[in-house]
Amino acid sequence: MTEPSYAGPVSASALLQQPPPARDFDVLVVGAGPAGSAAALAAARAGCSVALLERGPYPGSKNVYGGVVYGRILDELVPQWWEEMPVERWVTRRSTMVMTADQALTVDFRSQRWGTAPYNGATAHRSDLDGWLAGHAVAAGAVLVPATVATGLLRTTAGTVVGVRTDRPDGDLTAKVVIACDGVNSFLAKEAGLHPRQDNARHLTLGVKETLALPREVIEQRFGLTGRDGQDIEILGCTRGIPGGGFLYTNLESVSLGVVVGLPGLAAAKVRPEELLADLKAHPAIAPLVRGGRQVEYAAHLIPEGGYDHLPELAGDGLLVAGDAAGMCLAAGIWLEGVNFAIGAGMYAGRAAAAAIGAGDTSQAGLAGYRRALERSFVLADHRKLRKVPGLVLSERMQRQYPGLICDLAEGLFEVDNPRPKPGVWRLLRTAVRRHDISPRRLLADAITGMRAFG
Amino acid sequence: MAEQPLVVAALSPADPLGGADQAALEHTLRLAEALGGRSLAVTVGPAGAEEVLRQALACGVQRVLRIDGPAAADSDTTARALVAGLGLVPDLLLCGDRSSGRGTGATPAFLAARLGAAQALGLTELLLREGELTAVRRIDGRRREQLTVPLPAVCSVERGSARLRRAALPALLAARTAEIQVATVALPEPRQPVRLGPARPYRPRPLVLPAPVGTDPLARIRALTETDRPRTAARVITPAGPEAAVDELLGYLREHGYLAHLTREDDQC
Repeated sequence: MTEPSYAGPVSASALLQQPPPARDFDVLVVGAGPAGSAAALAAARAGCSVALLERGPYPGSKNVYGGVVYGRILDELVPQWWEEMPVERWVTRRSTMVMTADQALTVDFRSQRWGTAPYNGATAHRSDLDGWLAGHAVAAGAVLVPATVATGLLRTTAGTVVGVRTDRPDGDLTAKVVIACDGVNSFLAKEAGLHPRQDNARHLTLGVKETLALPREVIEQRFGLTGRDGQDIEILGCTRGIPGGGFLYTNLESVSLGVVVGLPGLAAAKVRPEELLADLKAHPAIAPLVRGGRQVEYAAHLIPEGGYDHLPELAGDGLLVAGDAAGMCLAAGIWLEGVNFAIGAGMYAGRAAAAAIGAGDTSQAGLAGYRRALERSFVLADHRKLRKVPGLVLSERMQRQYPGLICDLAEGLFEVDNPRPKPGVWRLLRTAVRRHDISPRRLLADAITGMRAFG
Repeated sequence: MAEQPLVVAALSPADPLGGADQAALEHTLRLAEALGGRSLAVTVGPAGAEEVLRQALACGVQRVLRIDGPAAADSDTTARALVAGLGLVPDLLLCGDRSSGRGTGATPAFLAARLGAAQALGLTELLLREGELTAVRRIDGRRREQLTVPLPAVCSVERGSARLRRAALPALLAARTAEIQVATVALPEPRQPVRLGPARPYRPRPLVLPAPVGTDPLARIRALTETDRPRTAARVITPAGPEAAVDELLGYLREHGYLAHLTREDDQC
């Protein structure tokens, strides 16, 4: 059998009888996404020799992303980052839309403060963003090795990770610490036994996205924007009851429209994800916003949305895991964040690796500072605090019943049904609850769970 | 041929290497090995152009040379710079058939002329067979012709004519910090390129008509627009067979003067 040219479900570690006498690098980071570049940057700044391995021909070449980048964590890595980060639009309108087939209720918040320094969130293309952050890592001394795939771990017979094997001739690279930032399917972390073997798919969602090109003026008119201001619309109730949601983000001269659905629900419903996206595109609340858009990109990607309770082990002997590879994507209803968690996790991983190398102990115990740093920071504090939210948001009631309940309540409130007098809110609520066959007890229980989870 | 033949890959400075340049580099490595010679990769460009030379080094080329100059010079200037920077006539110089972007593919021809070497351009195959350099290139009608190329020669190859080998990891890392030799040559002042003006909308050529006679404006317009010309009704014919149809067509064409240059004998043919 020939050597595999990729890491996959059947790839296995190469076992070394003896640890290599000298290592090529102190730290080897696999994957030059936000987590990997942040890890490489932090480790290089801490004085380590760092290699940053990237599968694509350049960082960001995959460019599959539909989200908002919250850059505050970059304050620690790149001062005044907003002056140089490649941004499409700064999000100044943050909207949450709840919809049924023919109704939509939108809560729309605008803050012009988010459109000026030090800013809040931004839409961005990963093809630009990843290259920019990797450029900082390279400037700090990291060695970028593009177009090179890690096909498996190099381990000693004792199980300590001492490097990776790549798909290049003579492609073994050794290091004191390997930081796996190889994305949501992280075969390296799985190979090291850090991910639980079963039920992985249950905590994954599939994001499907279209990027539709529209003239800049049209986007500004339709979304009520000026200059580099942008809008982020998160949508609930657009997935035919399959656990998930939708999104619409404005780029400078395009919009990204997509749905995110849980894998088990999608498989059980036997619906193709592009059908859900076509439904959303044709919805009366969305169609006028994207009309005439020319499709310039179509993409799909897995997202780890399991939350705190389904994180893998974050460290092994000689190995750390960060970013999507470690399931660090926060999908907690009104908060949908990933890149900032990846950057934060990568940064702490880089620092922890450097500290462990400095202390001469890169075993799992020596690398335990990584988890402690994450627990102290927003990365795991937010996940811990919101651990119940993914389950609540993806619950049957939240997906199938509550969007209709909320929309009917709003419709009853705003409909003028003269000569009848206006109904009271409680009466409307009771009627809507009955119509959607919701148990008031469950509704109250979910409200309390929500308050506790978000509180 | 010199004792150790020199095979040169002349690469476009654009990073990453284009498909045709990758093929040229791979052919360079293969032919240098086959000829038992030395390999050299050269490019004309500013310091940023060194990235493609590092890729060439990582893939196994023995020596690299950057000739300092503008990245986007015209083909003749690039060829002059390459010839001056090399300072000798290599046994074999390989290029991509055209640079990525909007290359014209003229550089290899200029190079061959300036080096006084044979040229074989737009090749799909290039091999050393029994001591002779043989090549294949496309010609019209989906046919291909085989060439035997004497040395010294300049050859340009199509993208896809060879797949560039994967660089070994140690070579890739070593190439990052390798010193790149730089040659400075005196380049002539760049010539003014042909400048394009805005495109005009399509306008058919005017049909010149003789001026109508008379002074009455209406009659003049009627004459110009041929309103009063008698219409001839379409003649519908149903020939008895193909031969009768051909006779009918030829008769019509002859009647209107289209076949005046042909004789009856030609008709029979």
